Amino acid sequence: MYSWRRIRDRLFELAVFGVAILALTPIFHLIIVVFIDGLPTILEAGLEFFVDLPPTPLSRRLGGIAPSLVGTFLMTLISLPVTIVLGLFTAILVTEFPKSRLSILVDTVAKSLSSVPTIAVSMAMFSLVVMLVNTIPELRVSLNPAGSVLAGSLALVIIALPFSYTYFSTFLRSVPATYKEAAYSIGMSRWAVIVKVVILVVKKSIIVAVLMTMARIMGETAALLFTAGRYRSGVPTSIFDPVDAIPLLIFDYMLSPFEVWHKVAWGATLVLLLFYMLIFFVAKVVVKEVKLV
Amino acid sequence: MLLFLISILLFNSIESLSAYGLSLFAKTVWDPENGVYGVLGPILGTLITSLISVSVSLVLSLSLAITIAEYLKGYSKKIISSIVEFMGGLPTIIYAVWASEYLVPFLKNNIMEPLHALLPFIPLFSCKPITGFSTFAAGVALGISTVPYVASIILEAYENIPLTYREACYGIGATKYEAIKILLSLTKPAIIAALILGFARSLGETTIVAFTIGNSMTLTPCLFAPSYTVSALVASQFANAFLYQHAESVLYASMLVTTLTSIILSLYASKLIVDWRSRVVV
Repeated sequence: MYSWRRIRDRLFELAVFGVAILALTPIFHLIIVVFIDGLPTILEAGLEFFVDLPPTPLSRRLGGIAPSLVGTFLMTLISLPVTIVLGLFTAILVTEFPKSRLSILVDTVAKSLSSVPTIAVSMAMFSLVVMLVNTIPELRVSLNPAGSVLAGSLALVIIALPFSYTYFSTFLRSVPATYKEAAYSIGMSRWAVIVKVVILVVKKSIIVAVLMTMARIMGETAALLFTAGRYRSGVPTSIFDPVDAIPLLIFDYMLSPFEVWHKVAWGATLVLLLFYMLIFFVAKVVVKEVKLV
Repeated sequence: MLLFLISILLFNSIESLSAYGLSLFAKTVWDPENGVYGVLGPILGTLITSLISVSVSLVLSLSLAITIAEYLKGYSKKIISSIVEFMGGLPTIIYAVWASEYLVPFLKNNIMEPLHALLPFIPLFSCKPITGFSTFAAGVALGISTVPYVASIILEAYENIPLTYREACYGIGATKYEAIKILLSLTKPAIIAALILGFARSLGETTIVAFTIGNSMTLTPCLFAPSYTVSALVASQFANAFLYQHAESVLYASMLVTTLTSIILSLYASKLIVDWRSRVVV
């Protein structure tokens, strides 16, 4: 005999399951369609997709996304180490001296910084770095203010910093106090404890944080809209040159009316998705090892 | 660094604020040729889009969090949590591409058109969805993309409830549904905080909105008409804004408003969570 309470319990379970499945459906659909729409582009263009310049709007050839690929790689290369070093140091500072006024301030700033719209960062960096570079005659590329590798990377650092800080401080806080106490009891200095004990314990978690920050930097679009310069017909030769990134290319080409650009955008979306999946799975494997040890 | 960012925005806003005053936020005009601006439309658009986004993500992420916390164990729990994590880190541009090519047509055919046909007398549904790119579509797309974020906050709070509460529930013979109801009522402040955080995040989201909202400077009560949010306006107009007097500064001013709102909301929400934790968890 089922009472009303039992029936309600079952109904609730079904409803929750149903909606939860609904919540997960988009991601599967998304992955499938990106493969369906992106793969033909890459297959058609072949390896040239990774080494060629993007096509003109009316060209029949697909060309490639080399400038964007190089740009994303370059800006990640510049901004990732800066972000990691700054993020790690602030996280160590805040977890070691949680009660100090500076730490509380840093924590609040990080929280607010992570809620600043990324496009606001882009605007601010535009008015600061891009305009500044533009006032130096030798560095000017065109009459209109254009972005640069430098401005793009700086914007990315500001976006990724609170993100990596949150990751690092979560991991650092998870180090059991007994480890630290043991280290202090044998007379190690505070600095030595951090370097030789804390960092070693969370070594693999740090790798995960670095990987996730990298994924964040690579996928960021809005921060680069006004800072990178969207330069697609070549690669930059100095950090003051304009540059492009994969998300920017997707943004512009997808919103354009040209068929060939849509195709390229789908291909680029697939490339970005594959990069992200690769990073994510490597991070997952590293986490698994952390749990075994 | 934060003050620095805000002061840059403020510095660039002063020009337009002194030229137009508060009337800048009371009209809906974008006429750079004649130098007339009013950003009421985008600001309302931002708020409405974020509201839709939060309601969508509340329903989805609450169920998701309950499923993960209550009904899944072992491997299936690990896999589903990993998928949620995967969704959380996915570059927004990929969501944007997917939403503009697949979600928007789907919503147009299956939700917007039936609603318009059935309930055309309600102002919200009064206009015919022509392209599908609209406030509603942008809100739903944003909602889907914020699910992992909101769900992870709710999940963390839910799993932080001390075991004794749960034991007490089952001890008096509660069914799972009744226990979940009680536990959820305990987590309410944290859920509200999660929603505020989701709202704050939706305020500033650019890529997805720029792809789905249809970019049009109008002020209409209808959810199915193309519109603007502040960030979408900036994304589409900022590149050419330096050609016109004041245009750039107007954009800075509207972005300043959005940024400050977002910061205040998220600080308030994280205070809510901290308060809740010290009350319930410890």
